[in-house]
Amino acid sequence: MSASSSNRTPPDATQSSSTLPGLVVWLLSRRLSGAWREVVLGDLAEEHAARAAVAPASARRWLVWQTIRCLAAPPPDRRPAAVPSLPEEKHPMLQTLAADLRYAIRVLRRTPSFTLAVVAVLALGIGATTAIFSIVNAVLLRPLPYDGADRLVRLFHIPPQSTFPGVRQFPLSPANFYDWQRQATGFEAMAMYRGRSFTLTGSGAPRAIVAAVVGAGFFDVLRVQPAQGRLFRPDEDAPGSKVVVISDAFWRTQMGGTNAIGRSLTLDGEGYTIIGVMPAAASLASWFPMARDLWVPLGLNAEGRAVRENHNLQVVARLTPGVRIEEARSQLEVVARRLEQTYPEANAGWGATLVSLQDDVVGDIGSTLVMLLAAVGLVLLIACANVGNLLFTRALGRRKEVAIRAALGAGRRRVLQQLLVESVVLGVAGGVTGLLLAQGGLRAGAALLADQVPRADEIAIDGTVLLFVLGASIVTGILAGVVPALRIGGTPLTEALKEGGRGDGAIGLRTRRLLVIGEVALSVVLLMGAAVMVRSLIAIQSIDGGFQPEGVLTMLVNLPETRYRTDAQRSQFFAEALSRMRSLPGVTAAAAIDNVPLTGGSVQPIVLEGKPELLPRDQPAVQVRTSTRDYAKVMQIPIVRGRDFADSDVDAVLVSRNAARLLWGDEDPVGKRITLPLVSRMQLRTVVGVVGDVKQADLRQQPQPTVYTYSRERSSRGLILVLRTSVPPLSVVSAATGVIRGLDPEQPVQGVRSMVDVRDNGLTSERFRALLLGSFAIVALALASVGIYSVLSYIVRGRSREIGIRAALGAQTSDVLRLIVREGMTPALIGIAVGAVAAVAASVGLERLVYGVSASDPLTLAAVAGTLALVALLASVVPAWRASRIAPLTTLRG
Amino acid sequence: MWKKAQPPLGDFEQLVLMGVLRLGDAAYGAAIRQEIHARSGRDVSISAVYTTLDRLEGKGFLSSWIGAPTAERGGRRRKFYTLRPAGTAALQQAYRAITAMAAGFEARLETE
Repeated sequence: MSASSSNRTPPDATQSSSTLPGLVVWLLSRRLSGAWREVVLGDLAEEHAARAAVAPASARRWLVWQTIRCLAAPPPDRRPAAVPSLPEEKHPMLQTLAADLRYAIRVLRRTPSFTLAVVAVLALGIGATTAIFSIVNAVLLRPLPYDGADRLVRLFHIPPQSTFPGVRQFPLSPANFYDWQRQATGFEAMAMYRGRSFTLTGSGAPRAIVAAVVGAGFFDVLRVQPAQGRLFRPDEDAPGSKVVVISDAFWRTQMGGTNAIGRSLTLDGEGYTIIGVMPAAASLASWFPMARDLWVPLGLNAEGRAVRENHNLQVVARLTPGVRIEEARSQLEVVARRLEQTYPEANAGWGATLVSLQDDVVGDIGSTLVMLLAAVGLVLLIACANVGNLLFTRALGRRKEVAIRAALGAGRRRVLQQLLVESVVLGVAGGVTGLLLAQGGLRAGAALLADQVPRADEIAIDGTVLLFVLGASIVTGILAGVVPALRIGGTPLTEALKEGGRGDGAIGLRTRRLLVIGEVALSVVLLMGAAVMVRSLIAIQSIDGGFQPEGVLTMLVNLPETRYRTDAQRSQFFAEALSRMRSLPGVTAAAAIDNVPLTGGSVQPIVLEGKPELLPRDQPAVQVRTSTRDYAKVMQIPIVRGRDFADSDVDAVLVSRNAARLLWGDEDPVGKRITLPLVSRMQLRTVVGVVGDVKQADLRQQPQPTVYTYSRERSSRGLILVLRTSVPPLSVVSAATGVIRGLDPEQPVQGVRSMVDVRDNGLTSERFRALLLGSFAIVALALASVGIYSVLSYIVRGRSREIGIRAALGAQTSDVLRLIVREGMTPALIGIAVGAVAAVAASVGLERLVYGVSASDPLTLAAVAGTLALVALLASVVPAWRASRIAPLTTLRG
Repeated sequence: MWKKAQPPLGDFEQLVLMGVLRLGDAAYGAAIRQEIHARSGRDVSISAVYTTLDRLEGKGFLSSWIGAPTAERGGRRRKFYTLRPAGTAALQQAYRAITAMAAGFEARLETE
């Protein structure tokens, strides 16, 4: 070879102005040896350029194909290897591992259907586990996206339990907040926030927006910085400061991503100046104040700051470094007790508590997720047992190979290592496929997850998840491979060679039966869990809430204060809207209320006429709803005594049956008068009727005493319109929203949902658990039946001579059938028994998550056992039938 | 390397040697690849061409040299090949074999 004139290769020859994509250059530079790199890359660049000039797309395809071929089989490096290989003794383990790896891949490629089956089973198991782990990772393990997020907490009152039974967290009043802020040590900073709905006008259709109203220092507590402009100054937390911070998403979609600082937004008819844009990273979809598009200052005036009895502000705080949550809590308790003494009339019975922001955001989903992770772990174990079974069959067929390797000097350890490497390769292949499955599954289920899980938007495959998959794959591979490897690797040489591949039936059968028993037992546990979850869901859904949710449409109309200033205007609007809706075809009744059942609402002390008002702690409290006439008719709540509201009523109330009993005992409440001191101490309201009890907060709780108020003179800004329909509720949506548009084209309508939807929305955890456990159980059932089937087929094959002889000696088809079915059913039944015991043991952990059914319900357990027995029977029938068809002569001759 | 009895040329080896023969001074990988593609319709990979060229060089049928860098290749150089006498002889032998076997059946073989 002679070198050309240009002896120096430019050092960056491969990178300079070539037309090749960087990835191709990078890949090939690594794959091609020095002498070929420049030549081949040059040829590819040249021809690619020529082709691209004619047909770019086909040129790209050509390049990809060429690259793949070069990567697969590059031209050989002909220079003699200077060093033959690494010294053997230095890395014997690594050397043999590499050799085993190559061998394993070769062996597995020779039996593609076996490999595919194993990888599919493992991928299912690892994929499901990975998907659940990704959720756990995002929801429970990853900290919230704020600096020092572990020190963020939310502060609450604990309300008097006599008035608010069971309520452990309650918002603060402004005056109490300022006292806590001044007196409690252990906190770096505290801030208030709450929501406020605005109507945004001035840019297209009017839009209802819920903004966060934040007190001074709110963003400092979180330590967020603006992406543009600035956040609120302390002096802007004052009445009348019309400034607004917008979210990154709002800036992009509504402002077109152009300069927004200094521009104005029209909210409820008033101009607000945009002073800053929040970075996208600070948004947190699962925490109310940071899931918003707009933030405005709270701006309480001196009078507002002094309010102590009205509890309507949320508080977030940052702990001083080194202060533990328990210390901070006892600090708060001291302050709350002091305030009880200082202001007994307002604060008697009001305690204090705090919870970490992370726990608050994640809520009670934690226990569900841990349970699901355990369940999916069981699925993975079943998959392991299944693959172990498959590997067993295969390993038996390779006993001779193993024996010969042993005869050639491979030690027991060496043989074990090789078999384990094979199963780990399978595990990793399953893991990679499982990862893809998990990603696909999470993407497909994203919409579902968004409703069910907090922080669902943060779920992603990150480094932690990848590490988990790697670990799970290797552990799975070893778990599945270790039993067959030990069993086969230990076979003495002479025995293996002697048997000559016949009569395998007896080898390892005990181990394989154990694997089937394990699979079936685990399936029972899973199936039981799924069954009680489904039963629990059905039980909750069929609870009578005291109203009839089917056939009801709900929609929220929030009238902006700026355009509907007076009660009369608002009353007029709702009265007109309802009267128009009543005449819509398909609508049989229409009413309005501030909060529909199951969504909670205002709880207030109530004072009977002629009785003194007591301390808040001692004053009876009731759920207070504001509704129009016909609400009981729409919800089909029975009117037990008296009458419904009439349009002419002034300051009338309806009371629920249990409220009547609580307040007046056996006396007839109709005609009695009450006051609601939080609304007005002067306004006496007259009871006109008694209605049935309704579950206002949660289907699982007892119905709470409720008072429905009505006033023609006073009307809320926001009411939910409820329509009883004779047609499917969602079919009247456009007509109903049309009514609102017809009355006021600038008025948005929010939250259009059927009442059934409202109910099911409160059952998300239940539905989530039932759905996921159900799908795991189905996978488990499928895997277990495959396991039984494969073991039985194997037994039939091994015992075909015996069966042939039996048949020759006069055994009937039914005898053979019975023989094989018994062979399959014995381990299955043992597995069911073991599983039943395990399921009862596991039910302790589930008891907290189910309603209306015991987690160890014997009837459900019996049904589960029956289902598994049936599946096992079905899985046994095919091999048994095949055995009964064995012709005596063929087997005897063979 | 210089064994007396060379094994006969493989099918692809023949195509590559023919390509070198046809291209004369301009016989480098991409050109040979395109020549084979254009004439025989076989769209082979560049690495297969170089693998074969390298093997033929090892057998003493070809010699090679490196050209000057050109801009159209991103400043990379070409590797040119030319036939050595042994290569020409091997190609002749292969050609003789195929023409001898085809003698008398040209008409039938040339129709598709």
